[in-house]
Amino acid sequence: MSIESIGSLTGPAGGIAPEPRARDVARPGDGPGSFTEALGGALGKVDKLQLEADAQAEKVALGGGNLHEMSLALEKADVSMRLAMKVRNKLVEAYQEIMRMGV
Amino acid sequence: MDFLTALRISGAGLGVERTRVNLATSNLANAETTRTAEGGAYKRLDPVIQAVPFPAELGEAQSLGSPPMKAEIAAIVADQTPGRKVYSPGHPDADPEGFVVFPNVNPVHEVVNLMSASRSYEANATAIETLKTMAQRGLDIAR
Amino acid sequence: MKIFDTTLTRLEEALDVRLVEHNVLAGNVANADTPGYRPKALDFSQAMAAAEQMFAGDGMASTSARHLGPAGEGAGEASSRASAAATLLIRETPGTSPSIDGNEVDLDRTMAGLAENSLQYGASARAAGKKLAILRYVVSDGGS
Repeated sequence: MSIESIGSLTGPAGGIAPEPRARDVARPGDGPGSFTEALGGALGKVDKLQLEADAQAEKVALGGGNLHEMSLALEKADVSMRLAMKVRNKLVEAYQEIMRMGV
Repeated sequence: MDFLTALRISGAGLGVERTRVNLATSNLANAETTRTAEGGAYKRLDPVIQAVPFPAELGEAQSLGSPPMKAEIAAIVADQTPGRKVYSPGHPDADPEGFVVFPNVNPVHEVVNLMSASRSYEANATAIETLKTMAQRGLDIAR
Repeated sequence: MKIFDTTLTRLEEALDVRLVEHNVLAGNVANADTPGYRPKALDFSQAMAAAEQMFAGDGMASTSARHLGPAGEGAGEASSRASAAATLLIRETPGTSPSIDGNEVDLDRTMAGLAENSLQYGASARAAGKKLAILRYVVSDGGS
């Protein structure tokens, strides 16, 4: 057994990364362009929209701010959250469907 | 400070303005009245309006801030300015010298009061409408 | 666990203070013909700052037993800290149109103030409703 064989397991994309990530062990399909990343990115955007809506609402509450900007931000937050919920429901459904399949 | 308070303040304002209108129209209607039950010519009526801290039982908060006040009619007083005298010996209400005392009503003055009271009445009514809109929006939070 | 964030609190405070402001303006309108009456005013940003302090510091120390307590007791119908804080900040202001009878209410400006206040109240109410609606949607699993 030589060190080289272990070393060959590290790949430029996919495969096992040289150092384990902070929280989870990398699995195949976790590299750039993977589904995990896409999902994480999307959720991050939804979160950003929520925070943006909060910021706008707070500005208006304090007496300043711009009414239509606030409304747009709130609506974007609402729609993106609904979309995220729909996606999440579909994912859960798909998971349950898969689990129902006999092996 | 809540909706009921605002409603009462504006309602009191409406009442005050309505009284002003009533007094102005009474004065106008009696501009030529030379004979009254109390004797003598009609004397024009004036409202005495005062601002009252609201509500009256909010005694403590009064000393700390400057609470909104409602308006109310403190009294209605007769204007004691002597009316104009007109020489008219044949008039049934003429005094021994032949002068008739006419009411101290200046119609132009009364009409101006009427217009001012009317504008203020509308302003109070608008304040109530605004309050209703706000209340509706507030209720809409819970749809 | 905190379900409702500070933004919602800020919106609640804004609603309370806007209502106090309406009362102040309505009082000025009602007294538009009262001789010698000096109009009252509320500085909105000041009131919001005071409301926030009330919330953060969990009440002020009363210097007199007869003063309003932190929960607003003794304030009659004032139902919240923000209301109480704002009420304390109402001041008499010199009016802009003194007339012969000493009344200083500028009716037109006051009406404009009422309109703007109402609009801002509606905006805060709409924002609060929307935030809660998003929360409600998520909580009900995308059902409603």
